[in-house]
Amino acid sequence: MSGVGLALRLGVDFVAGVVVGVGIGLLLDWWLGSSPAMLIVFFLLGAAAGTFNVFRTASGQGGAVGFKQARDAETDATDGSDKKRGSNARDDSKSSE
Amino acid sequence: MASPLEQFEIKAIAPIEVGGLDISFTNSSAAMVATLVLGTALLVLGMSRASVVPGRIQSIAEMSYEFIAGLLSDTVGAEGKRYFPFVFTLFMFILIGNLLGLLPYSFTFTSHIIVTFAMAITVFIGVTILGLVKHKMHFFSFFVPPGVPLAMWPLLIPIEIISYLSRPISLSVRLFANMLAGHTLLKVIGGFVFGLGAITFGVGGLLPLALISVLTGLEVVIAFLQAYVFAILTCLYINDALHLH
Repeated sequence: MSGVGLALRLGVDFVAGVVVGVGIGLLLDWWLGSSPAMLIVFFLLGAAAGTFNVFRTASGQGGAVGFKQARDAETDATDGSDKKRGSNARDDSKSSE
Repeated sequence: MASPLEQFEIKAIAPIEVGGLDISFTNSSAAMVATLVLGTALLVLGMSRASVVPGRIQSIAEMSYEFIAGLLSDTVGAEGKRYFPFVFTLFMFILIGNLLGLLPYSFTFTSHIIVTFAMAITVFIGVTILGLVKHKMHFFSFFVPPGVPLAMWPLLIPIEIISYLSRPISLSVRLFANMLAGHTLLKVIGGFVFGLGAITFGVGGLLPLALISVLTGLEVVIAFLQAYVFAILTCLYINDALHLH
């Protein structure tokens, strides 16, 4: 993928996390009438999730979400099962964990 | 001069209104129908007179089949075969839609967020249901970080869930932003051809004209690349849902 493509992807990944966080925050505020407490909390959580997204994309874990993959990679490496899983990008996650 | 964003305007071709809902047949619908017809025709015609030595259309049909089949077996494995029809349809729909949108006077429906978001949310909901049906409550172990003290769980699990929920947004915005930006850029540079050419007796228009030729080539690459990215991310999501254990 080209440099601009990767940059755009990282940007979108980060913003998507923030958008979802702010969306959840606004919905909860509207529902609980706690404006703006939930917005602040979920904005921060969303920013953290966005940073997670960027980290995963940049470290070559593709569209991965969740920790299950990394944990399975560890157990696969120890018990030596030959289960076929993931692309090359996914295989990189084994070494990074 | 016409606005570079005018190309994205939705125009009703056949206005239809049912119970106060505007469900007109628009230029966007027309582009989608054209995509469906062309995609179906390509595959049906390509395989109707299948020979051992493939002709041009048969080659295209076979190459696209093998491309997606290879993608699925690489990312998901043997179980991925069951999801081939879905991923292949999605890929062909986006690819042909992107490519048709590059023709002059046509309409790029993938440059509308609502179209790409509808596709992304379909993938997202489908994959979530797949994971829930396959793993029942185990699906939620997906969000639990390993080797992290229990005290950190209340912080990390919401972050993981938000990260998971942001998937359809990043998936749809990626395709939409690429198509929107590319087509706007083409129109802006196209405006320079006329604007600079008019004041310099045509000479000044040559540089933007050369640039727009290069950019059109780049747009063809992006049309392929974005369809590929959408397909491979769908495959990765399916893989995630299947292989939680």
